[in-house]
Amino acid sequence: MSERLLRILVTSFMQLLEAGLKMTMPITLGAFALSVILGLLLAVVQVANIKGLKQFASFYIWIFRGTPVIVQLFIIFFGLPYVGIVIEAVPAAIIGFGLNLAAYNAESIRAAILAVPKGQTEAAYLVGLTYPQLMRRIVIPQAARVAFPSLWNNLISLVKDTSLAASITVVELFTRAQQVAARTYEPLAMYLEAAFIYLIFCTVLTWIQRIVERKMVWQSHTDNKNKRRGLLCLK
Amino acid sequence: MLKVTNIKKHYGKTEVLKGIDLEVNKGDVVAILGPSGSGKTTLLRCISFLSHANEGHISFAGIDGEMRRMSRKQIHELRMHMGFVFQSFNLFRNKTAIENVMEGLVIPRHVPKDEARAIASRMLEKVGLSDRTDFYPDELSGGQQQRVAIARALALSPEVILFDEPTSALDPELTTEVLAVMRDLAKEGTTMVVVTHEMEFAKEVADRVIFMENGVVVEDSPSSLFFTNPKEERSAAFVKKILQK
Repeated sequence: MSERLLRILVTSFMQLLEAGLKMTMPITLGAFALSVILGLLLAVVQVANIKGLKQFASFYIWIFRGTPVIVQLFIIFFGLPYVGIVIEAVPAAIIGFGLNLAAYNAESIRAAILAVPKGQTEAAYLVGLTYPQLMRRIVIPQAARVAFPSLWNNLISLVKDTSLAASITVVELFTRAQQVAARTYEPLAMYLEAAFIYLIFCTVLTWIQRIVERKMVWQSHTDNKNKRRGLLCLK
Repeated sequence: MLKVTNIKKHYGKTEVLKGIDLEVNKGDVVAILGPSGSGKTTLLRCISFLSHANEGHISFAGIDGEMRRMSRKQIHELRMHMGFVFQSFNLFRNKTAIENVMEGLVIPRHVPKDEARAIASRMLEKVGLSDRTDFYPDELSGGQQQRVAIARALALSPEVILFDEPTSALDPELTTEVLAVMRDLAKEGTTMVVVTHEMEFAKEVADRVIFMENGVVVEDSPSSLFFTNPKEERSAAFVKKILQK
């Protein structure tokens, strides 16, 4: 490897990593938080069968799952200003990805809620809980555990999808790589480097997933070794 | 104390309950027997409003009226005075044994946490599970889970506890430990309605046996009479078949 290429790789690595930490990750985490909260609401109104809101939720999911996320980003960033709504690029990306992912998360959460055995709902009513208490105290905590792997899967997808924000002028990891590639005429090295940094982010998230899943087991008296073995058995 | 009259329930065209009357007095231990599909479980589910009866009248806990017309609030009020033990335990899996017992005290009845914890640990002691208070349901055997479920019902001091085949999901050894707990409760004067296939229990612990078949009550007799000298031909046949086993 030439000395020049090595120098470019080292300096650009820090630039790309910085763009990743300061743009890609905040957009990812902001959009993910929005998508989980909104997804939970969309799921609950469907399961609780609230008239009007339930229909709204299925309409919402139909729209946001049925159109490409890049088109949604363009509508928010380039389209909305024509009706007087101007949103900066970064917030537009967070909103766009968040609204889009909410549709997917709503379905994961809804399925997880339905997976909680119905007998517990009956038992909860009979000890005197109301529907909101039952949801908050019994159903959602258990659904969270079931939904977690698929929500996290969506998060990992989102880390990479945020590269689409490049198309609405956000200077995130991928845009930065494009810029450096254009300046140095080293596209192969630059895009491999960008890919490598995405891979690092996703690897860290995968580790976090393992740790959280291990902690989510409702057992207090099984030793840690067994717990770990139990999880491996599941996989 | 608990009186239901003329409960009717159908699923589509299948009539499951064809007008059931049941009266339970304080301190009664009533066993409901009958072949599978006779409507025993449906009856308990209608009384606790887990299923909605198509017709019928209920008088319990100061509420008196048509079952179909009960408001959500009235149903809640009725349930606040009855306990229910399920065949499949139905413990809250995200809560420990003691938290399962505390839930109905702390949230709906606003008992302070410390007090609720004291009551709950007393109840767990009563069902022989003092050493399992902080275990999650997944860490307990079926028999232990069912005893936690009994403690959960008991902690709320209900006027009556309805048991829906409480030992049907358990193997014989675990059945024994659950029945022992129920026997103790009966001795203490707990009012119980028990749908069961455990003839020994019905014979020795229940004061009354209600025999159901095809959605009707065939016989309602003191348990001593039911097993030795049943009134009805159909219940006589049932008893005979059981004694042959």
